[in-house]
Amino acid sequence: MTRRSSATGWTRLRRFDWMIMAAAVALMGVGICFIYSASFHGDPLRVAPYYRKQLVWDGLGLLVCVLVGMTDYRRILRGAWAWYALAVGLLLLAIVAGVSVRGAQRWLCILGVCVQPAELAKIALVVVLAKYLGSGARRVTGWRIVLTAALITALPFSLIFRQPDLGTAAALIPLLLVLLYVGGVPGRVLVFLCILGLLFAPLGWLALDEYQKNRILFFLDPGKDPLGAGWNKIQSEIAVGSGGLWGKGFLKGTQNILGFLPRSVAPTDFIFSVIAEEAGFVGSAAILALYLVILSACLRTALSARTVSGKLLCVGVAVLLFFHVFVNVGMTVGLFPITGLPLPLVSYGGSVTVALMAGLGMVQSVRVFSVRI
Amino acid sequence: MLERIERAEPRSVSMRFRIRLVWIGMLVGFFFLGIVLWRMQVARGERYRQRLVRQSTRRVRLPGRRGRIFDCRGTVLADNRPSYCIAIHFEELRQRGPWSRTVEYVDSLLDRLADMLGLPRRISRKDISRHIRRRLPLPLIVWRDLDDVALARWAELASNIPGVELYVDSVRCYPFGPLFCHVVGYVGRASVTPSGRNFDYYWPEYEGRRGIEKAYDSLLRGEAGGKVVLVDASGFRYRDLVAKPAKDGVDLWLTLDVRVQQAVFDALGDKSGAAVVLSPRDGRILALVSSPGFEPNLFIPAIASADWNTLLEDPRRPLLNRAIAGAYVPGSTIKPLVALAALSSGVAGRETEFTCPGYLDLGDRRFRCWYRKGHGRLNMVTALRYSCNVYFFRLALRCGPEAIWRLAKEVGLGRRTGIDLDYELAGLVPDREWHRRHFGRGWSDGDTCNLAIGQGAIVVTPLQMAVVAAALANGGRVVRPHVVGRIIRDGVWESPRGGGETTSLDWRTRALAVVKEGMAEVVGTRDGTGRLAALPGYRIAGKTGTAQYGPENDRKKYCWMIAFAPLEGPRYAVSVVIDEGHSGGQDAAPVVREILKTCFELEAAE
Repeated sequence: MTRRSSATGWTRLRRFDWMIMAAAVALMGVGICFIYSASFHGDPLRVAPYYRKQLVWDGLGLLVCVLVGMTDYRRILRGAWAWYALAVGLLLLAIVAGVSVRGAQRWLCILGVCVQPAELAKIALVVVLAKYLGSGARRVTGWRIVLTAALITALPFSLIFRQPDLGTAAALIPLLLVLLYVGGVPGRVLVFLCILGLLFAPLGWLALDEYQKNRILFFLDPGKDPLGAGWNKIQSEIAVGSGGLWGKGFLKGTQNILGFLPRSVAPTDFIFSVIAEEAGFVGSAAILALYLVILSACLRTALSARTVSGKLLCVGVAVLLFFHVFVNVGMTVGLFPITGLPLPLVSYGGSVTVALMAGLGMVQSVRVFSVRI
Repeated sequence: MLERIERAEPRSVSMRFRIRLVWIGMLVGFFFLGIVLWRMQVARGERYRQRLVRQSTRRVRLPGRRGRIFDCRGTVLADNRPSYCIAIHFEELRQRGPWSRTVEYVDSLLDRLADMLGLPRRISRKDISRHIRRRLPLPLIVWRDLDDVALARWAELASNIPGVELYVDSVRCYPFGPLFCHVVGYVGRASVTPSGRNFDYYWPEYEGRRGIEKAYDSLLRGEAGGKVVLVDASGFRYRDLVAKPAKDGVDLWLTLDVRVQQAVFDALGDKSGAAVVLSPRDGRILALVSSPGFEPNLFIPAIASADWNTLLEDPRRPLLNRAIAGAYVPGSTIKPLVALAALSSGVAGRETEFTCPGYLDLGDRRFRCWYRKGHGRLNMVTALRYSCNVYFFRLALRCGPEAIWRLAKEVGLGRRTGIDLDYELAGLVPDREWHRRHFGRGWSDGDTCNLAIGQGAIVVTPLQMAVVAAALANGGRVVRPHVVGRIIRDGVWESPRGGGETTSLDWRTRALAVVKEGMAEVVGTRDGTGRLAALPGYRIAGKTGTAQYGPENDRKKYCWMIAFAPLEGPRYAVSVVIDEGHSGGQDAAPVVREILKTCFELEAAE
């Protein structure tokens, strides 16, 4: 470890990118407001307490972010394989002892607090790929490296896929591809990989059990179940579209209040519908702008980072964040089939918030420890 | 250290480029989302808003309070009384899980309520399911028209059960029962009107089925309002969005007088028949009774099928309004018109005399006078007094049928009077053309003889004969009879349908004076046919009639009398017919007497 960046805690904090923090806190604030709105069905006394729980998770996320940010990312990178092993271990545990929610075994519950190990796995994978691809003098163009990286990804991918949580599993693929690309793998190799993947997708389909196929069909084709997933898609589109330019006002979105937007998913996967209905195009565009602030800050840090691993770390976190937002909003407006991906920092959910804030903490750390003294 | 070696490598240059490329990719992605959002929310937002409105709102039609009906002095004839109902609101009773659980819950709640109120259950489990499927956002009425005991129990035991509510409905009632059953009519459950088709749900509403209730239905109903109900995804009512209050129906003030109507009703008693009293000045109808009647309150809210069948199958046909739709042969009541036709055409005068031997031979047919022994020599006035058939045979033959047809049609026989009630009968004045079409032969002198005494194919209604009496009374003005005098619309008195318009006929005063003189002798002399109608102190003009009808082996007689009084400046024109009786003089004249007696007594009292 270099002596150079051994600054005191206070100076480290001062070097934080406060734009990221401000945008993250703003998104969390919006999130809590609209989780409240999404649980509101006309009676202020009977609002589900999700927004209060989320407040706790948000606080925890901020704390984790600051702690991680003040830790030298190189120390974290050194423990990358341990994190990776922990994540894979938890995923295995979820298969053995997980709690099943609506047919998918995603949750691990300890002392009443439930977490999704898949969220931790995403961040762990960013760390381990950044370390592997960024370490040392080796050229990342070699097929051996591409293949190893793919295998590193394949392990958590298959475990998450088995849960099944296709959305989260799918997030790992662009993560791998972008990190390989930024890491130096020639574009043509990646294109070749993509084509190969598409060719082998039908083979993978054959390998699935019947019930898994059904689940995938259920996710991919909402028309199969117009009152289930298809219903959500239609009602979400109506909610977004009816919002108009300025929206209907806070707590005035009828799609949610009247239960057309199902109450189970309104505060989580479909929080963006609630925002789009109540805050209109202006509100939805503002949310996208806040994400762009964070993404640009992450990539700026990546540019200024002085190690390849640091750069990859920042790009990895940015890709994860981008993919979640893009797919979630895309699903809300009907571009993508319904997947269980939350809107990070805004949706109700603890694991994803804390995991993503840890990721942003690592970006802060890269920034803090890349500054020349 | 590792980092220092890396920094020297050329790949860091390409990394910067690739990171920038990733950034551009993300920008493009978000820009794309922004465009999609703009298209959905701003460019095509209206479409989504319409879909939202369609799926989350329901329009409910709310009828206005039905207008009341008063007689000319403000006595209420058709009223709305409050009816206390118990309604349940599903949105407060919904249960989680499948619908069957909500049905189950409501079902057991009804059992509990039935126990508390001591009422038998009216709503079955099936009804609950049907209501949930079809009319979920509306309350379901589980008991109607609670009595005092049930109301008291409700207040004490059940008023605080959530989702259950006392609801006050408005129910039509007819305080006078059968007295006005034909004129005022009755109401029934309304079917959906074309104007109401753009509503999703209808609240029960009444529509007029007969009488004034039907003829003035659109005025009485007012303008239905409506409300928009916001429903949630399951279809339960969430709250009411907007409501347009219904406009209450218009109150009608009739020309009828309860006291006269009652007198006519009592005078007719249980005899089948009809009577009309109207004002010869403007055609205001003071009383219009058809007997037998029925109980109009039976129809509220809906008539039991057993009651309905009884009414339909009753051989006396109580549902028929004989006064305006009864097909009657006028008999001798047409004689004043025959006399007037002859006088007007100038072929006869007051002193024109004929001898009545009791019959008239015409070819091989013998036409008899009702008085077999014959009246002897008569002039026009005495002929009217005794209602001599032979005299009028000869008179009619002398003036020819054309003059009689023309006059009969001029005073309104053979067409509707235009009274503001439905199902009015036009009647028939048979002429040459009609004979050719229906009997395939021309008009014969025998037909003229029949016409002269109001027999044959001629058909009139009691109302038409009242108008004839009025025209004779007022000097030749044919009034248009009407029962609705005025209405109050938006606080302003109005006169509907141009009531009281008349057609003036150019009758010669001297001719009319002869007829009046004869009609006055009918009542005012000791041997006049209508002497039983006489009232001391009043000069009354009238004409009786006895018309045979029915098959040869079962002849029945319509007993008629038309009258007006007082002779000078007449204020009442009356027409009475009794379906089965001995003669007009015996059966109808006393009814006329009772009616006029009441009219004059009421006048004197005021």
